[in-house]
Amino acid sequence: MRLNLLSVKSARRDYRLSAVLVRAACRLKEPNSDSSWGAPAKFLHWLVAILIFIQFALGWLAVGWRLLPMKLNLFVWHKSTGMLILLLVLVRLLWRLVNLTPVIPLDTPAWERGAARLSHGLLYILMIAMPLAGWIVQSASGVPFRIFWRIPLPAIVSPDRDMAELAAVVHFSLGLVFAALLVLHVGAALRHHFVKRNTILTRMLPTRRSPK
Amino acid sequence: MKKLISLGLLLVWTALQHARATDWKMDPTGSRLEFAATFEKTPAPGVFKEFDVRLRFDPQKASDSRLDVGIRVSSADMGSADINKAIAGIDWFDFSQHRQSEFHATDIRHLQTTPQFSRYIARGTLELKGVQQTVEVPFSWSATGDGANMDGEFTVKRGAFGIGTGEWAATDVIGPDVTVKFHVRLRKAP
Repeated sequence: MRLNLLSVKSARRDYRLSAVLVRAACRLKEPNSDSSWGAPAKFLHWLVAILIFIQFALGWLAVGWRLLPMKLNLFVWHKSTGMLILLLVLVRLLWRLVNLTPVIPLDTPAWERGAARLSHGLLYILMIAMPLAGWIVQSASGVPFRIFWRIPLPAIVSPDRDMAELAAVVHFSLGLVFAALLVLHVGAALRHHFVKRNTILTRMLPTRRSPK
Repeated sequence: MKKLISLGLLLVWTALQHARATDWKMDPTGSRLEFAATFEKTPAPGVFKEFDVRLRFDPQKASDSRLDVGIRVSSADMGSADINKAIAGIDWFDFSQHRQSEFHATDIRHLQTTPQFSRYIARGTLELKGVQQTVEVPFSWSATGDGANMDGEFTVKRGAFGIGTGEWAATDVIGPDVTVKFHVRLRKAP
């Protein structure tokens, strides 16, 4: 009897969960408009954002950890997350290219438009250059690696100690530039919302669609 | 009488000479000693660049044999500067204390013979990082024009030799098994 109740409950939960998933899947086809980002663009933006913050933490911890099994695990997580970000960023770029880009408010001064275009361009470049530099470090170091312990990652350079060290310096330096740009990016978004009071931030925020 | 004794000794000596199995020496070029561990569920191959094999062996009469292998542990190369540095440490091979590993076997038995080669198993003692363990090394033997080839593969547990101590003794990050693979080219010793 009790078992029955439980299974009814879990069936209901399953139904609700699948309804949510179906609704989310339908919205994934929602493109960008002139005034706002669509659900896929928002989803990819925030997913990549979260992964990038996790990625900074993982990289920082992995480098600083003593040479113990945990250090190797942290590096597998860091490298795997990096490859995931690279893949997602390529999907993002593709989605952006085949889609509208919401317009910048008309009263935006030219220098801000220029700064926005430059910083967004740099962010995309870094989101691709960082994993690529990491991939070179991985290949040049010759350390065995599988993405999430499963998928072998082909080497893009042959093992070479000097190359590994050089690529690591580049990877780290790009990381510093990236961190500075992220501060700028977040600061600008907050300025648009709280100081200029425009929709730049809110049009990237997830919205809950009212049930029809 | 003296003559008879010397004649007898000579006969015994010749007989012994005749019965004695052939001595073989390793030809370093064309011989390889490889090993493979697992690193984060990924194969991590390595090679011992310096090693030597001496063998007294008659393929027809394996029981009379002796196999002696010396391995310069510090010649291990795992294809990564970081890993090579790590395995030199006290938790792993501990190069400063244990530079040499040895395997000695006098118990060699014939397993089977096919048209291409014959298979044998050498049961002996492997000394590594100061630990002695009995290890069985199967190998195939194939005669070539001027010598013979010995090929084989076996697995050892790294934990039995204290390779990977402390937190490294756990086997989820670095696997417990190490596969050793060898190809040895031998020539008859003069």
